[in-house]
Amino acid sequence: MGIIDWAFRKSPWILHFNTGSCNGCDIEIFAILTPKYDVERLGVMLKGSPRHADVLVVSGPVTRQASGRILRIYEQMPDPKKVVAVGTCCISGGVFSNGGKGACYNVYPGLDSIVPVDAYVPGCPPKPEAILEGISKVAKKAGVD
Amino acid sequence: MEPVILPVLQTLVFPGFLFLIAVSFLYEWLDRKIYAWMQLRAGPALAGPVGIMQPIADFVKLMGKEDITPAYADRRIFGAVPVLMVALILTFWAVVPVTGAAGLVSFRGDVVFAVVAMTFFCMLIFLGGFSSSDRFSLLGAERAVLQLLGFEIPLMLSITGVCIHTGGLSVSEIVSWQAENGWSILGPQAMGFFIFLVAAQAELERIPFDIPEAEQEIVAGWLTEYSGRKLALIRLAKDMELVFISGLAVALFLGGPIGPSHAGLEWLLYPAYFLLKLALVVAVLALVRGLFARVRIDQMVSFGMRYLVPLSLAQVAATILWRLI
Repeated sequence: MGIIDWAFRKSPWILHFNTGSCNGCDIEIFAILTPKYDVERLGVMLKGSPRHADVLVVSGPVTRQASGRILRIYEQMPDPKKVVAVGTCCISGGVFSNGGKGACYNVYPGLDSIVPVDAYVPGCPPKPEAILEGISKVAKKAGVD
Repeated sequence: MEPVILPVLQTLVFPGFLFLIAVSFLYEWLDRKIYAWMQLRAGPALAGPVGIMQPIADFVKLMGKEDITPAYADRRIFGAVPVLMVALILTFWAVVPVTGAAGLVSFRGDVVFAVVAMTFFCMLIFLGGFSSSDRFSLLGAERAVLQLLGFEIPLMLSITGVCIHTGGLSVSEIVSWQAENGWSILGPQAMGFFIFLVAAQAELERIPFDIPEAEQEIVAGWLTEYSGRKLALIRLAKDMELVFISGLAVALFLGGPIGPSHAGLEWLLYPAYFLLKLALVVAVLALVRGLFARVRIDQMVSFGMRYLVPLSLAQVAATILWRLI
């Protein structure tokens, strides 16, 4: 199984999904594709179709409206698949979590109440380096399946 | 026994199937590196030395992934299209000369045979998109056929120009004519080479003509529903199509694998020349990919019909005049 593990580590293709983010995390995610961080070094490519992707990168608070869609996109991805939650909103609800007393009526308290999450990248917004670290850690884990 | 083993080895290993697959992985890497260089990026860097194993990693990974067939898809056609694509290019690769003036198979009219491969490829794209039963796939498939309408005629005409110029209807005749009289790109065929490259870029569905898989508009076009093994085969077929069309450009315009050589060293030098010229053509195609943005559908069709077709007709006329003089 050596070569398949190696291939999974070297070629994680990502799919970006915005569940209602303020765009702060989104521009940081797109920063990792730009020349300065150039995530294609690690073999990462941004894909448009869930059928092609290995890693689902989610940003923003998980609203009730987006929750069904994120589940559907997660189920459309072929196994083995990983999920990275980017930003405080996505991890816990962030400022929409009502001061730690539970989320607002329309926001779930974190992405892991909808789909299993493999890596959490905290920050508001997180640095591109941190997102890169999250994706590469998930890619390393992908080979161990 | 000997006369059987040699052709089989030639078909399976060199310059046949294995050689084509290895070369197509190599040139996908080159293409991605040049594209990254154009954007001031590093490109694939960590899989193997300078990332040269990246296409193989992608292929193996996709092979290991789950293979999903949508519930409403036409199962048989959906599953057959990727295999047929690979088989198609592997078959048609036999006419491209790698080790000498002639390819594995050479007969009168094999230039037309080679061009038909691209039409068939487009038909398979349409079948693949159509059988997915997905709105994005269907839109992508329609656009692929529209693109075929726009660029098939200039492609045919540019090759017609070469055939008139060299007076041969088979690849081996054209290559050996160029070995004696100089590359055909040096004559009035320079325009033909340009038209061929533009049309090839459109046939390969690369930027600026990646309309059938426009990511920002229709997810991934006709590829949307493909995953796992099928996607791996389609990506391999597309890489092989890149090498096939570039190889055709090398044979028709850049003199094929023939070059200066010592007696007895042709078996080593001719494939080396071929790979060098192939790298040149792939580099030009990658530069074009990095330089332009995607054109709109109407711009694509009008560019093909309004400028490229008259241009290629003028080029054929110029070639006929040049022959008469």
